[in-house]
This record gives sequence, structure tokens and C-alpha cells, in this order.
Amino acid sequence: MKRNWTKPIAVLFVLAAMLPFAACKKKPPTTTESARSASESPTSPGETRVSPPSNRTPQDVASDALPGSVEEMNRRGYLQDAFFDYNQADLRDDARTALAANATWLKGHATTQFLIEGHCDSRGTTEYNLALGDRRANAAREYLTSLGIDGSRIRTVSYGKERPFCNAESEECWQQNRRAHFLFTAK
Amino acid sequence: MRRPVPPRWWAAALLLAGLAAAAAAQTPPPGPAAPRPEGGVIVITGPSGRKMSMAVPPLLAPGVAALQSRVSEPFTATLRSDLEYSNAFVVTDARTEPSGSRDVAGSEAAGRWLSTGAEVLVDTRGDVAGDRVSVEARVWDLKSRKLIFGRRYSGGATYVERIAHTLANDLIKEFTGQAGTFLSTILFVSDRDGNRTKEIYAMDFDGRNPRRLTNHHSLVLNPDARAGKVVFTSYVHRFPQIWTMSADGSGQRELSTGLELNASPALSPDGSLIAFSGSAKGNPDIYVMNAAGGGLRRLTSTRALEASPDWSPTGRQILYTSDQTGTPQIWVMDAEGAGSRRMTFAGNWNDEAAWSPKGDKIAFACRNEGDFNICVMDFATGNTVQLTSDGANGHPAWSPDGTKIVFQARRGGSTQVYTMDAADGKNKRQLTNGGGSNMQPVWLP
Repeated sequence: MKRNWTKPIAVLFVLAAMLPFAACKKKPPTTTESARSASESPTSPGETRVSPPSNRTPQDVASDALPGSVEEMNRRGYLQDAFFDYNQADLRDDARTALAANATWLKGHATTQFLIEGHCDSRGTTEYNLALGDRRANAAREYLTSLGIDGSRIRTVSYGKERPFCNAESEECWQQNRRAHFLFTAK
Repeated sequence: MRRPVPPRWWAAALLLAGLAAAAAAQTPPPGPAAPRPEGGVIVITGPSGRKMSMAVPPLLAPGVAALQSRVSEPFTATLRSDLEYSNAFVVTDARTEPSGSRDVAGSEAAGRWLSTGAEVLVDTRGDVAGDRVSVEARVWDLKSRKLIFGRRYSGGATYVERIAHTLANDLIKEFTGQAGTFLSTILFVSDRDGNRTKEIYAMDFDGRNPRRLTNHHSLVLNPDARAGKVVFTSYVHRFPQIWTMSADGSGQRELSTGLELNASPALSPDGSLIAFSGSAKGNPDIYVMNAAGGGLRRLTSTRALEASPDWSPTGRQILYTSDQTGTPQIWVMDAEGAGSRRMTFAGNWNDEAAWSPKGDKIAFACRNEGDFNICVMDFATGNTVQLTSDGANGHPAWSPDGTKIVFQARRGGSTQVYTMDAADGKNKRQLTNGGGSNMQPVWLP
């Protein structure tokens, strides 16, 4: 991270808020003998997450009206989730509407990077749902890129049915769990 | 003993004494071939066959009361439980056992045991010296009054149950020719550590001694085991990656593929390859890579979803799930990805196929309406039987001898691990309870 001591105190404050993320810049190793040292673990939707590396500069931050932290951005929910039918990864009309609104927002905040999580309801097997969640997350990504969003800003992860938003066995709850969920990873 | 030892008994004792010199609790050396009774013992297992009736009275131990609770009771309970669980024999009701001598080389004693319906007597006698327990086991054919099997076991006094499991394994081998599974291990996934994590645990074949093998504080899913190796999926680095480790949990290593989804790993029978469900751009297919990493190849190339591969025992074919016809169904292809064909046609969701050790059957999660069940299909004929009808069932895996299926089922609140007889779904036992949900079992070969 470049340092610019000439900026106003407000920027220093922002920098201070970012320090915890700078500490996490080191990429996790691709080969690890033991997982004990790993500090990151998937968190539930809406919980705070550790930020991956970014190439932000203080200037970017200063020119941005967004809140100081990625966590706060995720709390505020700038991006809408896209919901799916049972055992489907095709985008419904309401999902396209939500993703189009996301695309508009993302074009206005072109430095943001984000993760799309694919989620499934509790029916069906764990293994199949991991693959289905992958298709859902990628369906959302493809639509966003077709609307002009740079694919390099997007990563996807499938949680299958492992991270449900609610736990009742009802259609209302199942619908809540069949979604592509957005999380910012960088401003 | 209240009466003179008959000559036959001495013969057996001499045989045992010869074996005792080299015997150890965990791996008794193969003794000389035990004499078979004249005419042979009819051993027919399976749903329609007659099973041999076996009397398994308590281990006789010297008159110290403490030995009864420390040695005799756990030994006898374990041995009876194992033999009953095997479903290879009928173990006679302990309440029908006659009192008096067990020296069935004599016709009078043999007659008393025969009158209970038993055909075979498993006579065990134990002794304790210091912290060592020794057990002499003699198995008699009651009609011919001949010794079928004689062996001596010894080990630390805290390993009484292990000695019983070893004897049970030897009896299974003696009477069925198959290796017993009473010292085998089952891996499974449990959320008992909380914080929305899942980790891989191991337990004994009967659910005892659960122990955690991974400590990722994350989502760890779908273990598979072959040839001393275990593979699984972990989210410890946020994205699902395939990991490998030894069967005891040591040597954990992440295998990088460059794909976004790396799920449902399955080891080839020789442990050299991993088939898995991988995805690059939202198109999950079956991939193969080297178990040491590298050598990535894609086997399926449909636009549909493919997942849940499992290798045939020969390593020449792979079962997998595909939804290319609109519903998830079991398919099979050769190990190079060619010659794919659909295996299941009944029901609207068939998934998680597992090939039997002999290769003649496949077990899978099957559903038409309502909850999932476990089905077993004859691979050659396609004939299918449904083995469960209660609760939501899934993730079947075979015991190494092919006689049992371990699976997960939710009957009420949480998902737990069960076993049942592979032939007919009988003899269901719940292996886990409490400790959250326990699922995705796999039996170590």
C-alpha cells in the first residue's frame, strides 16, 4: 500500500480502518501441510468476511463515497440476491431484474470486486447441490458480464446446501435458500 | 473342571499350546488348518439360506469376581454382538444355555448343547497374568463332537474387546472365507464442533471411539478412502478444494486444480487417481487427476451437471450422476470418459452411486416422491431393491466385505450414520447419536 502523508486526516482515518486488511494481503498457500494455521473460514451470509488482496490506493478511497470497510458495504446490501426455482440454475425474470440493477450499481463503482455464492435448498444430496450451486453462481456471473461487468471483478463459490439462510422445511424457506448471494471482497 | 479331562480335550489343548507361543492379540498368525467336521458344516448366508446356529456362552475366567466385569463380560458381549451383527450365523439365546460342563468331546455334554438348537459351540476360556489377558477359543461341531477351530489370543488387559473382535474376524474367515470387518474403521463428516463447521471423524465399525481427523474450522466434506489414502473437499481457503491425507489424518495436503468447484472426490482402487466433480465456468463435469496432484483431465463434456463419481473395483469404469435427461440419474462410463450410458430409469432423482467391492451391485440414493431412500441395483440385470423406507436417507457406502451398507439417515431431528445388511436392508443399526449431525460415511477398506 502506498503512503501519502499529505492527504487530509480523513484519509488517514480511512487508511487506519484498512490496516486489518493489509495484514491479510498474503495469499493463502496452494499447498499446505496442515490447515491449523489458516485463519480464514467461510462465514455465513451477512457475516463479516476477511478481505482478499486488492490494489487500492488512498486516492481511490478518497474519491469514493462508499463506507470505509468492505464489511460495512456488505452490511448495507448494495447488491440484490438472485433467486432460483427448485433444481434450476436458469435465471427467472425477477433474477434478471435484480442482476440488472446490480450491474447498474457496479458500473458506477468500477473498482469494487465481489464474490457470488451459489446456494441451494435442503432437498437433494450434498454432492449434487454443490454442483448446482456452482451453476447458479455462474449463471449470475454470466448475466452480469453480458451486461458489461468485467469478469475479472467476479469470483464464484458454491456452498450447495451447506450454508442455508433459513432452516425450516417449507417452500418459503427453500426459496430463501435457492439464491446467488453477493459479497464484496474489495472496494 | 469337575471331571477328568477327556482325551480329545487334551489333544485340543496341545494344539492350542503350540499356537500360543507365537500368538498376539491383534494379528494372530495363521495356525495349522483346523480340522473340518466330517460332512462339513453347512454355511449358507443370505436372505433365503439357512444360517448355522452358534452357541456363544460367556468367557470362562478363573474365579476372581473382578475378572468377570473387567474381562469376561465385555469379551462375551463384544463377541456375541459381532457374530450377531455379521448376520452369517444365528447366535443362540444366552438364556437357553445349559449349565454344566462344556467339554463337548463327551457325548453327554454335547447332547445338552445340541438340545438348545445349537450346531456349533464357541467355547472361550480366559486367564489374566499381570496386565496380560489370554483367551483360548475352541469351536466344536456338536453333532460330530469334533474341534473345528482352536486358537489362543493374548494382549494387554485393556484390549479385551479387541481380542474379541479378532476372534470374531477369525470365525468369519473360518466359516465364510471372507475377511471379517470387526476391526475396520468408518470415516464420516460431523458438525459436532459447532460454529457451522464440518470436520472428518473416524470411528470403529460399530460406532465406538469417534475421533476427529481434520481441524480446518471450516466446511470439510465427502471423504473417500482407498489404498491407505483419504481424499475430501475443504473450504478452509474459502473455495472448495480437494485435499488428501493418510487414513489416520496425518499428511494433509491441498491439491490445486485451477477449477472453481472441486467436489465429491473419489479415489481409484489403487489410490493413484482421483475422480471428482469439477467446474470451470458453471458447467460441472467429471474430472480426473493424479492423487499426488497434476494430470488434470476432463472426462465428461455435456452441458449438463455431472457429480458424485465412483470407481468400479477394477478401476475401468466410473459411475456418476448426470442431469442431462432433465433429472439427476446414475450413469456409467469407462475410465477414459467414453461409452457413457444411463443406469437408472425409475424415480426422478438417483444420485451418490457406490460400487460394491465385488463390482456386481451398485448402491445409490433413490427418490421418486417424498424422501430419499437407499436402493441397490444388480449391475448386470438392472434389478433394483429399495432397502429403506423410513426418513430421509443418503450417501451409501459398502463394507469391505460387501455384506453391509453404511449410510446416513434423518429420522427425526438430526442426520445420523447407520448400517444395514446389503442383501435385504435388515439388521439396521444406528452407529452415531448426539453430537450434532453425522453424515457422509465411508468404510475404510
